[in-house]
Amino acid sequence: MRSDRRAKTIAVALTIVLLVILLFPFLVMVSTMLRSSDEVYVTPPRWIPERVVFTNFIEVWDQYDLFVYFKSSFIIAAGATLLNTCLTVPAAYALSRLRFAGRGVILFLFLVVQMFSPVIVVISLFKIMAGAGLLDTYLSLILAIAVFTIAFTIWMMSGYFRSIPPEVEEAALIDGCTRVQTMIRVMLPIAAPGVVTAMIYTFIFGWNEFLFGLSFIQSKGKMPLTIALFNFVGRWSTQWEMLTTAAFLAIIPVLVLFYLIEKQLVTGLTGGAVKQ
Amino acid sequence: MMAVRASLWSAEARLAYVLVLPALAVLGALMLYPIAYVFQMALFRTDKLGRLQEFAGLANFAEHLSDRDFWRIAFRSIYWTVFGVAAKTLLGMLIAVLLNVDYPGRKVARMLFIIPWASAVPISALIWQWVYHAEFGLLNHTLRASGWPDPPIWLGYPVPAFIATLWVDVWIGIPFMALVFLAGMQSIPSEQYESAQIDGAAAPQRFWYITLPGIRHIVLIATMLSSLWTFNDFNTIYILTHGGPAGSTDILITAIYKSGFEWLKFSRAAVMAVVTFLILAGVSIVYARAYFRTERN
Repeated sequence: MRSDRRAKTIAVALTIVLLVILLFPFLVMVSTMLRSSDEVYVTPPRWIPERVVFTNFIEVWDQYDLFVYFKSSFIIAAGATLLNTCLTVPAAYALSRLRFAGRGVILFLFLVVQMFSPVIVVISLFKIMAGAGLLDTYLSLILAIAVFTIAFTIWMMSGYFRSIPPEVEEAALIDGCTRVQTMIRVMLPIAAPGVVTAMIYTFIFGWNEFLFGLSFIQSKGKMPLTIALFNFVGRWSTQWEMLTTAAFLAIIPVLVLFYLIEKQLVTGLTGGAVKQ
Repeated sequence: MMAVRASLWSAEARLAYVLVLPALAVLGALMLYPIAYVFQMALFRTDKLGRLQEFAGLANFAEHLSDRDFWRIAFRSIYWTVFGVAAKTLLGMLIAVLLNVDYPGRKVARMLFIIPWASAVPISALIWQWVYHAEFGLLNHTLRASGWPDPPIWLGYPVPAFIATLWVDVWIGIPFMALVFLAGMQSIPSEQYESAQIDGAAAPQRFWYITLPGIRHIVLIATMLSSLWTFNDFNTIYILTHGGPAGSTDILITAIYKSGFEWLKFSRAAVMAVVTFLILAGVSIVYARAYFRTERN
């Protein structure tokens, strides 16, 4: 028993040390965003500023046009989520509940393409978008993000559709519902948690996207947050107190969303090898 | 009866194709066709706008695959991935073991450990740039204060830059490993541990003979997935070092992008993309097989 308690003490101590190491950049972020500009570039640097200020949270909106970028990020992420959902809900239902030739091949295809790097296709996609006159539009990013999330969201939702007992569906069919009615009125409500998880996943993916934004977007008014903040660094002496404030504000929404789907994400990625 | 069934079947199949078609069409147009186009591009000479000129066959491959730089970058992609995944696996395992100990506050610790994964990668990378700042960064300040008088200028020189960049990639990838391993450990029935304890097995033995074999399969899937993510990490490198200094942190993924969008060498980018595609497709197929196998069980 005594060794048990000692093990616990060691575990707690080690956990704290590791947490400090792993959360280090976020501690730096918080420390920097709470200071005024004259305390950013000081030697030696200080962890706790002499004067803790909260004014950056107000100033950053004017100085950086933060609202514009938040709006762009939201439109892009929400648009991609909508498009992705319209494409994947029917496909996931069909792949998990209907029998047809080629089903296994299609599932396998979706699983394999899930791992492809966007970098491989970004040059081709750039040409396609240019040809379609879509460069520097939200739509270019919405399309690209929706495509790169299709595979995983279909996989994740298929799991939910498959877990519904066949009797539920059969009962509805016997009651005279058509397949499509059954899908919308019976199956979809039961699989709703899976659909919501997939939607949150796509939204996060869209919010965090960097490569396509970097390649397709030029005008400031359409830049998502990730690209806008990237462009602020290094162009002139970076105002890190503003940048860390903006970073903090940009991270909060995805952090909250991520906690909602974290467990399903782990299960989905490991093919149910892990059930929580 | 048979006839009814067959007609039902075909109606079912027809509906299925209608439902799957939109997703497949979009995937084909914006993922599969672009991949095919990259293959085509790799076989042609291109101009500065990336337009295809004359057919060159395998000449592009011959040219770029005999380039020493290409091999240096490809090799770096491999050890970037190997070191990165090894570090993620070990640290993830350590955290999983810690979180598997029952102490108050464990749920909070679990939530905090997830943050690097949950945060937006491009934004984390930007924050790290400030953390690594040679003069005003709090990392070097803290290192100096804790007894390392002369820490490196992290992003300024090749070796420190590689380590610093790889660490950020590792840092992002640890939580996933920890969560997966923890879930695996918690699915091992506690009777196994109890009987081992009665037999007098110490904690390290229990870990080695019960925990590790119990999560073997999960470790396999997680490391495979992690390898693909690590290999594909564009954001961390591009944002932190842009592949520099002197190309010392370029891996295939960043080199493809820079060759195409910055140096306008489209056939070089295409050749690299084809090679990368083949590597990814190979590993993905192995992963997909393992995934199917666990799902069936």
